[in-house]
Amino acid sequence: MRLTLAWRWAELRMLLPLAILVPLGFFVTHVAREGVLEAGSLTLAMGYLALMLAAHAILVLSGQRGDQLLLPLVATIGGVGLVMLNRLAPEVETTQAFGLQLDVAQTQLLWFSVGTVAMLVVAAGLRDDGPLRHYKYTWAALGIGMLVFTALFGFEVNGARLWVALGPIAVQPGEFVKIVLVIFIAGYLADNRALLTEASLRIGPIRVPPLPYLLPMLALFGVVMLVVVRQNDLGQALLLFGIFLTMLFVATGRRSYVLIGLLLFVAGVFVAYRLFPHVAVRVDIWIDPFADPTDRGFQPIRGLFAFARGGLFGEGLGQGLPSSIPLVHTDFIFAAIAEELGLIGAFAVLALFLTFVFRGLRIAMLARDEFSALLAVGITASLGLQTLIIVAGNLKLIPLTGITLPFVSYGGSSILASFLMIGLLLSVSHRTARAIDREQGLPDR
Amino acid sequence: MIATNVRRLALYLLLAFAVVSGGLGWWQVVDAASLNARAENPQVIAARRGALRGTIFDANGQALATSQVIEGISRRTYADAAFSHLLGYASLRFGTTGLERAYDDILTGRADPNPLRDLVNDILDRQPEPKDLTLTVDRRLQDFAAAQLGDTAGAVVAIDPRTGAILAMTSTPTFDATPISGVPDAAGPAMEAITARDGDPLVDRSRQGRYVPGSVMKVFTGAAALDAGIITPQTTYPDQPRQETEGFPVSGFTIREHDLGGIQPDLWPFSPALQVSSNIFFAHVGLELGGEAFLDYARRFGFCEGQQIGSGARGLPVSASYVTAPIDGDCGPFVDDVELASAAFGQAQVNVTPVQMALLAATIANDGVVPELHAVRDVRAHAADPATGPADQILERSSTGGGSRAISVDTARQVRVAMVDAVEAELGQLFAGAGAVRLYGIGGAQTAGKTGTAQRSEGQAPHSWFIGFAPAQDGAEPAIAVAVLVEGGGSGSGRAAPIAGRVMAEWLRLNGGG
Amino acid sequence: MTGEVLRILLLALQLGFVAILYLILLGFARSLMRDLRSAEAQQLASRTGIGRLAVLESPDDEPPAGTTISLGPINSIGRNVNNTIYVEDDFASASHAMLTFRGRSWFVEDQGSTNGTYVNGHRIDRPVALSYGDEIMIGRVRMRLER
Repeated sequence: MRLTLAWRWAELRMLLPLAILVPLGFFVTHVAREGVLEAGSLTLAMGYLALMLAAHAILVLSGQRGDQLLLPLVATIGGVGLVMLNRLAPEVETTQAFGLQLDVAQTQLLWFSVGTVAMLVVAAGLRDDGPLRHYKYTWAALGIGMLVFTALFGFEVNGARLWVALGPIAVQPGEFVKIVLVIFIAGYLADNRALLTEASLRIGPIRVPPLPYLLPMLALFGVVMLVVVRQNDLGQALLLFGIFLTMLFVATGRRSYVLIGLLLFVAGVFVAYRLFPHVAVRVDIWIDPFADPTDRGFQPIRGLFAFARGGLFGEGLGQGLPSSIPLVHTDFIFAAIAEELGLIGAFAVLALFLTFVFRGLRIAMLARDEFSALLAVGITASLGLQTLIIVAGNLKLIPLTGITLPFVSYGGSSILASFLMIGLLLSVSHRTARAIDREQGLPDR
Repeated sequence: MIATNVRRLALYLLLAFAVVSGGLGWWQVVDAASLNARAENPQVIAARRGALRGTIFDANGQALATSQVIEGISRRTYADAAFSHLLGYASLRFGTTGLERAYDDILTGRADPNPLRDLVNDILDRQPEPKDLTLTVDRRLQDFAAAQLGDTAGAVVAIDPRTGAILAMTSTPTFDATPISGVPDAAGPAMEAITARDGDPLVDRSRQGRYVPGSVMKVFTGAAALDAGIITPQTTYPDQPRQETEGFPVSGFTIREHDLGGIQPDLWPFSPALQVSSNIFFAHVGLELGGEAFLDYARRFGFCEGQQIGSGARGLPVSASYVTAPIDGDCGPFVDDVELASAAFGQAQVNVTPVQMALLAATIANDGVVPELHAVRDVRAHAADPATGPADQILERSSTGGGSRAISVDTARQVRVAMVDAVEAELGQLFAGAGAVRLYGIGGAQTAGKTGTAQRSEGQAPHSWFIGFAPAQDGAEPAIAVAVLVEGGGSGSGRAAPIAGRVMAEWLRLNGGG
Repeated sequence: MTGEVLRILLLALQLGFVAILYLILLGFARSLMRDLRSAEAQQLASRTGIGRLAVLESPDDEPPAGTTISLGPINSIGRNVNNTIYVEDDFASASHAMLTFRGRSWFVEDQGSTNGTYVNGHRIDRPVALSYGDEIMIGRVRMRLER
């Protein structure tokens, strides 16, 4: 095998500040908790740094020429997340994994490793989009298969049947359905975009898409939504719907599609509000959590209190009361960040996510073919919307749903799926770089 | 084309992130203070449970509320049930009320009166240091007033008209706040026992009770009309003597005089009209003044909106007093002339708190300036032993003086003369004379005042009212203004006036008068 | 007092943590800006010598008014989506006009459209040479040729 190096200096430069950030976070937490000025254990922090530098090295060695800011962005966001989980670790349940008793931060680092490997395999291994693009119906079938399997054989945690036991590990297939759905929609839209863009029908001022061409996609989408809603996973349903509308908008440029879609969604929620008590409860709690402060409103209220305690500058790492919020390490980790790092810290995290979104969209804009562009848009929208939905839910801007904050919340499936998506973005970006070389008549590197 | 759409998408996502950041700023900064103060807040609960609260002293340094932490639980002891409404309670189970609520952040030490030190404490996450309060209320006068009310439901509010300092403020029936402010588990049964009793003992009648004022309102009507130049002290109404017996027809409704007790109607100007409490005279005055001017003056005296005792965020809220049917928390317009004429002698839709009426008396006594009410004199460092009185270190002093002018000095003096007549002059003695301080051993001091017998619906005994101040003779500086309300107490001269007279006499005696 | 010192130190470390977070963010923002500028420069470079069309008026918003379209040497314009420049307008024909760069200047030629092609307000009946700044009208879509 010929070894082709591709130096990634910008990536390395942006990774280096993490060597201060993450250990400092661990140090502050330790000092605050123990009340003595000593370093404490920095093993996890060092492990994390080593992992990210190794990922960088492998990208260089494999000649990956994709975007150089993606990995540092993800590593920074994930680093803040790891600092936070390390701080929460003594106060939330430990997990039994691989026969070891690990706390949440240790487990999370393990999942970071698994995710990074998956990302590298996709980024370095997937040099051609053929397998994604041409087998789109296979991917769609796989996605539906995973969902149906979960619905049939899955088990429930916190009232939603989302989990499947794979040997010793519990997996949430829903996290991966996102990815295959994005691949399918990107493939379908790329093949049929011209037809979809043409407005063949007009009803009054509204342009209606040529329905026969939309039908296969709508059908698949309908099946997915049905299963997801049946599983009582409303956050996931909202997210999938958002991804779908975003990709449709980018492919066709029609705001009317988005508007119709949103209207349908609101109507659907309204119907669900009337028909299903568990939806009604969620909406009622959203409107006034203080109506039932000790039971159903308990978690959101505790979240709001955490934001308020944080104020502008935060209570300080290790000095807040984040464990007063149930499920703080998954659903409410953003509230914990806001409590201990304050508005300034929480805003920085949001800004990092926004930077990531801009970067993902830039990759889409530079892409040389429509499939790649739509794939990048879909992945970026998926991670961006997921962030917006959970943060807005924490902040009571929308009803709370149980989805994770990408790269930050504790959870193996979420971390693995998110890193897979980064791998896909890197491979899209890599193909763009090669295409530009060819356009400029440079030799294939 | 995709590139264009992606650019638009970037803009939409940027907007969405901006909205979310806005939400973040809302909860973390804008609304944070109110959330942090909520009783459900785990931080508040945890901090409260084992935290010492500052002591509350009366004006003479007697401890009224003290805290002890026993077995990790903060327990509050209250020395005097006459203060239960003013101080409120600090319960781990039921939260806080009264001054305990208004000054919660100071008493617990979560806040420092000095904003800069407050910021530093907050940033450095220092342990809260409880602070003590010293009230303007004198326990001797408070106990005296409460004893005067005895078992009947009512309220006494006494103010120093020069400073707006509350001298006494008590409401009956009262309750013992100590059992509900101790161990949380024991607080439940104690609270149940209190709420099971008749007469709503938890309600602070002085600032939360709204009552029809009846004739005490004539002081306001007269002051407004004199100040607006609608009448002079000499103005009379030719039809009035005849209407005293025949009635005064207003828009098809006939306004009738109350029982004058055999006094022969005469062509009465302001002072005699106030002495005999002529409804007919004040109905004329109110109609001539007009609804808009009536409302305008009402607002100047503090009616029509919620008030507070103490300024800023730590004010003790007082329910709004209304002169018409309220709309959105403000006085609505007068519906017709009948309502206006009736409001002029304190009936129709007039509903007022005893605090507001004490403030009316204090304003006349203070030459037309509405004083700024306050019940806390200063905030001090925590005294280790409450029995030896408050610490010397004063952290913050309530401002005295200030206030807003409602009527001119001349008007206030004219009303004052008439109010003295209403108690001391020949006709006045028949109605409000029982409020005179000289009857209670204070010689040489004249008393200004006005009774009220507030008619309620058929079959219910009227509320008994008195407002007044002393000493009120020409050249004297009034030292105390009071409002007394006795629920269903009958005539003003029968119940409220003697209580007011005794309370004022007691205050003058305590301060070396008589 | 040591407690106080520790608290101040913790506060400083804490603010340091957030400060580093912002420094990192600043680094990302600078890279983002730099890439944006180089991308623009790249686009400019690839554009030199030819030109672009600024869309001045477009009732159906396709192409969107206010945007510019980069031009290759040969550009077909029309309502069919297979055209280089896709114009969605009820008054445009499926294959409406051809915009080509020959030698040193631009030419526009009507492709037998129903409603004709206009250059600076005049309907054309043969290939017309354009200079930069000229306005062409396809259906109701008005565009200006720019460098």
